[in-house]
Amino acid sequence: MPTSFQRTVRTIGALGALTLAATACTEIGPEPGSTSAADTSGSIFISGSSTVEPISVRVAEMFESIAPGVQVDVEGPGTGDGFKKFCDGETDISDASRAIKEQEMENCAANGVKYTEILVGIDGIAVMTNPANDAVDCVSIENLYGLIGPEATGTTNWSDANSIAGEGMPSAQLDIFGPGAESGTYDSFIEIVLEDLAEERGQEATTRTDYNAAADDNLTLQGIQSSPTTIGWVGYAFGAESDVKLLEVDGGDGCIPATPETIASNEYPISRNLYIYVNEKKARRNRALVEFVDFYVSVGLDEAVSTVGYVELTEDSKADVRFEWNG
Amino acid sequence: MVASTLGNNGAKARVEDEIFGRGRDLRGSGFRTLLLSCLGVSLLVLVVLMVQVVSDGWSVLSTRPIDFLTGVLRSQPGDDALGISQGLVGSFWIAVFVTFLAFPVGIAAAVYLEEYAKQNRVTTIIDTAVRNLAGVPSVVYGLLGLFLLVKGSKYTNWLFVHPFNWFWKLFKDEAAFQGQSTLIAGGMTLAILVLPIVIITAAEAIRAVPSSLRQGAYGVGATKWDVIRTQVLPYAAPGILTGTLLSLSRAIGEAAPLILVGAITGRLAPRESVLSGIGSFTEQFADKFTAMPIVIVGWIRQPGETFQPAAGAAIVVLLILVIAMNSVAVALRNYFEKKRG
Repeated sequence: MPTSFQRTVRTIGALGALTLAATACTEIGPEPGSTSAADTSGSIFISGSSTVEPISVRVAEMFESIAPGVQVDVEGPGTGDGFKKFCDGETDISDASRAIKEQEMENCAANGVKYTEILVGIDGIAVMTNPANDAVDCVSIENLYGLIGPEATGTTNWSDANSIAGEGMPSAQLDIFGPGAESGTYDSFIEIVLEDLAEERGQEATTRTDYNAAADDNLTLQGIQSSPTTIGWVGYAFGAESDVKLLEVDGGDGCIPATPETIASNEYPISRNLYIYVNEKKARRNRALVEFVDFYVSVGLDEAVSTVGYVELTEDSKADVRFEWNG
Repeated sequence: MVASTLGNNGAKARVEDEIFGRGRDLRGSGFRTLLLSCLGVSLLVLVVLMVQVVSDGWSVLSTRPIDFLTGVLRSQPGDDALGISQGLVGSFWIAVFVTFLAFPVGIAAAVYLEEYAKQNRVTTIIDTAVRNLAGVPSVVYGLLGLFLLVKGSKYTNWLFVHPFNWFWKLFKDEAAFQGQSTLIAGGMTLAILVLPIVIITAAEAIRAVPSSLRQGAYGVGATKWDVIRTQVLPYAAPGILTGTLLSLSRAIGEAAPLILVGAITGRLAPRESVLSGIGSFTEQFADKFTAMPIVIVGWIRQPGETFQPAAGAAIVVLLILVIAMNSVAVALRNYFEKKRG
């Protein structure tokens, strides 16, 4: 039973709300040409990868104009943290810069969280050096393993890599800058570049321990600019916007420059998929969530992904994604 | 007069020369130069930082200062709606939480420790513990907030969550505080963070009250409560105020604990205005939030340097806020000191 104090408080609150609603109506009035989404209300909470965060924020901003009643909040603590929250049922959508891991799947299953995986874009990992470095234009996966892989620990010259794997690295002082172990870009680099070779050679799949690891990608870029013979890696969106020289990468089919086209077509060997994971149970209960994801795969894939600096899917992959979500 | 006690003007000149003269006391003037250069270096660092931040943020501050204050988190650095209003609102409520939770509890604890507690081993241990807590890194308080307030277990909930919800139910039917990343969790975490600082500064201020004041009051028949109320607290007020306001500035500027507690970085959808009744007023406390330092961290983290101007401008606003609060602290202290006579 509400107490009289509660009732008073509520009456005051209701009066306040009424006054405001009245003023709001006279000022704005009904929106012309409203669609079904315009009447939807509800709230959506998105967490996960800080790499994907800008895409989801952009989509939410665009969605706001057609569905003003839906409240979309986005944060980006990291892919791993995001999946923890997602599998605890705290979030509706989880942004991810890699596919969900086995252990995270089990975690979700244990809590009865079922999900749909949706590919939304592609992020290349740029391998870069100082703009003043003329000696190197292209590196192979083997070169990268020789320079940055676990066996390279302790080496200080580019040419030292030649005795580990690959060939053709010049003699020059070697300074390496890259993201730290907490970053999704670090995981992806190991997975795409180092893992296979490390396994082949009986090494642990990790980077050398003595490179300059930074938590903030802008610090990595500053490091690259600090001396003429540096090498490092960072998400393509970061690298392309900065004054660094992106190296071509040879994954076995010749040297490929990192461009939006080569990344989208998977020609450029170091790229990763960006996903969103949608909680199915919440989608069944929350109409706003379904409409938001509809909007994400229809308009978002075309207009949001490239706006915030990532590479759009090819038209074929977009069609696949839409078919899978709608069908 | 120095001269008259020495009775000789030559001696006065000699003493003055000894104390103020150059060239004689080489070590003394060397030490003085060292101290001066230390001050110079720290001021220089400060000036360089300020110039850097202001020049970063100038393009925003000079072209759209009002829009920037009223704007919200956006994905594009050039967006006309980009701004810090959500950060300001969050920081404001955090300040309210700190004021209403940490200050009364902290000052009361200080009064107890200084005036009532017996000087035994337990008091010494508590005293040492409080001092140590003041030096604990803020991230640790963030973890405390995460486990006590955000994650919350069956047992820890009895400490904060249940009492708060009991209070809550006076206003609303449902228990609003579900142990999520809410403004309540953020505000309480920062209140706990500054609590030791408030206790220490308040205790110092109370300790500095001359015992003659107390004895005088006892002498005319005042009770202990009277003495504290009419003599000790008014006399200690300037010191207590300075300490509390400085700790408020500290709470406003903290980012690390809020990152752990889960302040929002990417997007905070528009909310119903606080003005539309007490319902949304209380709802806001149990809602997701962001704060000035978090807004700044979020922008600095963005690719390239496109958000640098916005981040610089936000830092300038936060600096102005903190400087303003510290000036209020100084002004209040001067006012109360004058009143005290």
